[in-house]
Amino acid sequence: MNLSRFNLALRLLWRDSRSGELTILIIALLIAVTSSTAISLFSDRLQRTMTLQAAEFLAADLVIACPTPIPTDWQSRAKQLNLTLAQTVEFPSVLIEHDELLLAGVKAVSSSYPLRGLLKTTGADYNSETITHAGPEAGRVWVEKRILSALKLNIGDSLTVGEKPLTISNIITYEPDKKGDLYSFSPRVMMNDADLTATGIIQPGSHVHYFFQFSGDQEAIVNFKQWLQPQLTPSQKIMDIHEDRPELGTALIRAERYLGLSSILVILISGVAIAMATGRYTQRHFNATALLRCLGCQQREILWLYCSQFLILGLLTSAIGCLLGWFAQRGLFKLLKDLLPQQIANPNLSALGFGFSIGIIVLLAFALPPILRLKNVAPLRVLRQDLEPLPISAWFVYSLSITIIGLLIWRYTTDVKMTATVLGTGLITLLVLSVLIYGLLNLIASLVPKMSLTWRFGLQGLIRNRQATISQILAFSLTLAAMLLSFTVRTDLINNWQQQLPENAPNHFALNIFPEQQLAFKADLQQDAIQGSQFYPVVRGRLTKINHTPVQKFVSKDSQGDNATHRELSLTWTKELPEDNKLVAGQWWTPTQTVSVSVEQKLADNLKINLGDLLTFSIDNQLVYATVTSLRALKWDTMKPNFYMVFSPGSLDAFPSTYITSFYLPEAKKDLLNTLVKKYPSTTVLEVDLILKQFKTLLKQLTQAINYLLYFALMAGFTVLFAAVYATLDNRIYEGTLMRTFGANRKFLRKTQWIEFGVLGLISGFLAVIIAEAILYALYTRVMAIEYQPNLTLSLIVPVISALFVSLVGLLGVKQVLNRPPIHVLRGL
Amino acid sequence: MTPTQIKSHSHPIIVAENLAKTVLTAEGTLHILSSIDLIINSGESIAIIGESGSGKSTLIGLLAGLDTSTSGSISLNGLDITQMNEDGRAAIRNELIGFVFQSFQLLQGLTALENVMLPLELRGDKKAKAIASRLLERVGLAHRLSHTPKQLSGGEQQRVALARAFATQPKILFADEPTGNLDSKTGASIIDLLFELNSENQTTLILVTHDAHLAARCERTIKIEAGQQV
Repeated sequence: MNLSRFNLALRLLWRDSRSGELTILIIALLIAVTSSTAISLFSDRLQRTMTLQAAEFLAADLVIACPTPIPTDWQSRAKQLNLTLAQTVEFPSVLIEHDELLLAGVKAVSSSYPLRGLLKTTGADYNSETITHAGPEAGRVWVEKRILSALKLNIGDSLTVGEKPLTISNIITYEPDKKGDLYSFSPRVMMNDADLTATGIIQPGSHVHYFFQFSGDQEAIVNFKQWLQPQLTPSQKIMDIHEDRPELGTALIRAERYLGLSSILVILISGVAIAMATGRYTQRHFNATALLRCLGCQQREILWLYCSQFLILGLLTSAIGCLLGWFAQRGLFKLLKDLLPQQIANPNLSALGFGFSIGIIVLLAFALPPILRLKNVAPLRVLRQDLEPLPISAWFVYSLSITIIGLLIWRYTTDVKMTATVLGTGLITLLVLSVLIYGLLNLIASLVPKMSLTWRFGLQGLIRNRQATISQILAFSLTLAAMLLSFTVRTDLINNWQQQLPENAPNHFALNIFPEQQLAFKADLQQDAIQGSQFYPVVRGRLTKINHTPVQKFVSKDSQGDNATHRELSLTWTKELPEDNKLVAGQWWTPTQTVSVSVEQKLADNLKINLGDLLTFSIDNQLVYATVTSLRALKWDTMKPNFYMVFSPGSLDAFPSTYITSFYLPEAKKDLLNTLVKKYPSTTVLEVDLILKQFKTLLKQLTQAINYLLYFALMAGFTVLFAAVYATLDNRIYEGTLMRTFGANRKFLRKTQWIEFGVLGLISGFLAVIIAEAILYALYTRVMAIEYQPNLTLSLIVPVISALFVSLVGLLGVKQVLNRPPIHVLRGL
Repeated sequence: MTPTQIKSHSHPIIVAENLAKTVLTAEGTLHILSSIDLIINSGESIAIIGESGSGKSTLIGLLAGLDTSTSGSISLNGLDITQMNEDGRAAIRNELIGFVFQSFQLLQGLTALENVMLPLELRGDKKAKAIASRLLERVGLAHRLSHTPKQLSGGEQQRVALARAFATQPKILFADEPTGNLDSKTGASIIDLLFELNSENQTTLILVTHDAHLAARCERTIKIEAGQQV
């Protein structure tokens, strides 16, 4: 290709971009590149952070996680194999200082912790981070900064954990094995395990997590693991760095996936805008192309001329988009700051490269089909303007874009089946919605002749080019529906939870009450006239078999049964049927029965447990067999202790137990918590208000991050609107000017424009409400078990707001129609 | 310049005084029209002739209130349109003026009937459909009412445009090269129809043309050369 042709391409590109011909295309491409670069950088940094931490993720080479200490001969065996040992104990505990309460995640570490990785702390000045390879000394405690502000403490102050006062010496900023789950969102308190006994918290039956950590040469670790495995009980879990890939918390994984899929929505909507804008561009270049062909340009030269312009445009725009995306991902990290590890890997060039290539790919996928039409412009068009090149095959256009979108979905899900499901569901939804909108537009078209002139002209804008109208309505309604969903789910989850609680429902749970404290605790509550629920004994145990068949064979992934069998359950026994429980099958205890168990109905359904089945439980490394004698239905949201498994009285007497209860503490009596926590240091008091608050913050951050991406989708939606308006702008100017020639005033034209865009926005808004409510209904009734109630106010407000916004933006786009003097009609426009 | 003489039996319907139109270009001020003085009587037929670029179209654009002059005044039926805003002029156009254009200027999305109904509907005429149907029948298109412009020949399209121009019974009709896009035979039939309708409706006709024969059918001719009336 010679230089002069390249110069011509550059010159044409420069002219077209200066005349505003390419503005929408550039904006749409910028939005697509910015959002995909931001998401690509975000997930890449997150994943690399996790991978970099792989070696130190466990803070050891091998870890045994268990609810009780491991047998001493295991430790001896490890020593024989020359392995180094460390131990951490984690448990939640309520801290009280200066009349402030805070639920903290306490971690008591042995002196050799961490075996791998390092700890980072700062002093009072917060400035310089110190790297250490050992935890706090005995008598001292390290805390997260949040603890200091919440409890009005400073470095050097004393902090009482259980019954043991400890001196705050450092602020902990990084620990290698902090898990990314909801449980570990409580701020960290790290202490030396030499002080653990003095806290009085750990007693038989306490709900704590032990982590026994080992490091050494690989062969010894493998040896040790092989030796251990046959001896493990169901409640003991081995983790090693070779088999257990470090994983993000589920909340973060889902957020990352939603963000990825939202960015595909942005790409898709921007793609539609790009296709529309390029369609108009090519149409306006038919004449120039015919002239070039007339002057002797060959088809491939025409193609090269336009493709090279778009390629230059794509390269430049993508580069700018990458830069904007880099800023956008910083915003995303800021939004999710509290959920993320504190040390994040630096941005990677390859992630930027992905965003950049998305720009080129999207441009090719959506702009190439219209450009290919230019190649087919006949030179005869210079004489006959009505000769239009054949459009490119619809199959080619759709398969190209579906392939690209499919590949992108696959990138975020990395699962062929899920990709096919998302793509299939997406396509079917789009198809159904398109047919629906098409039907609606046909209905409008049939009603138009009976309407007044203003309405007729207004609605004609919608029905004239139905394909473009459908694209616009789809773009807006999908974006609005997604925004509506993320907003509604968040508020409904929180509101429903709060509303469903009856007045004076318990707002505090007390766990880990030791049997000898139970009566005193009860008396203390009664003395202050605190309403409490029954005290239930709790023994931790795991369901292992149903009729001698391992329970894993009965569960499907991510089901309720799966959750219940992968962790230890709180097992209780009681003589009377617990309040708010309803017997739905079988009979409550009869005196002659041996060890019997009553199972919660939904779990029984899920695990296919029937009356008379024999269940095997593993409790404290012993097996307990129990026959199912009844099934119970219960309300989980009563804020009273609820149990999957209730045993017949006396069945679990052989095991150490603690008690659990819940009680309602009015705001005015909050001081009592102080007294209770101080008097019973080993007891964990969970404040429901606090947990709800923590949950709210988490939910707010996640939905904010998703909304952040949806703003891009909304912007992309507006570019589709602009592209559609611009595609018909010449015609609109022509008609508007002609109408004014015949005496139509601006008010009339303005009215028709309001009608056109208002109805467009209204339909999009209504459709968004319908889509969102349908998804909400399915989500609430099938997945979340929240009572579904259509939100009428929102259903009315959203269409109105949508109509208003779309109208304002649309009117901005057609400003020229009102301002062009009618004299242009005489000049053939 | 002395205003052109007028018929004694009728009143002036268009009066233009010292009309000028200039535009600013990179090279300086460009005078498109200057010192135009005109008086056109009700019911008169006037041909405006001149070469391409002489300023004919600019002149009828100003007279019809489609554009604004740089200086001077125009009154239509006694109303000074140079003092009005665009919406005021639009109301005057709807009330007083009909148009026929060289390139027909029909709205592509509307049928022949709807195109003719348009100016009537804009003024809120309840009988729009009946009037439009009658006029289309008058121009020989009774069988084409529901056809869109794309389904009509050039001659038929210009007939629709004529029907539309007369639909509101305008006092003044501006016709800009009405046969410019038609073959001579079709053009001749359109001109016959135009003059017939004009005389039936007693409309004042201002016709812009290159065609000397056509100009000769008008009662008076105004020649424009380089933006000046000669």
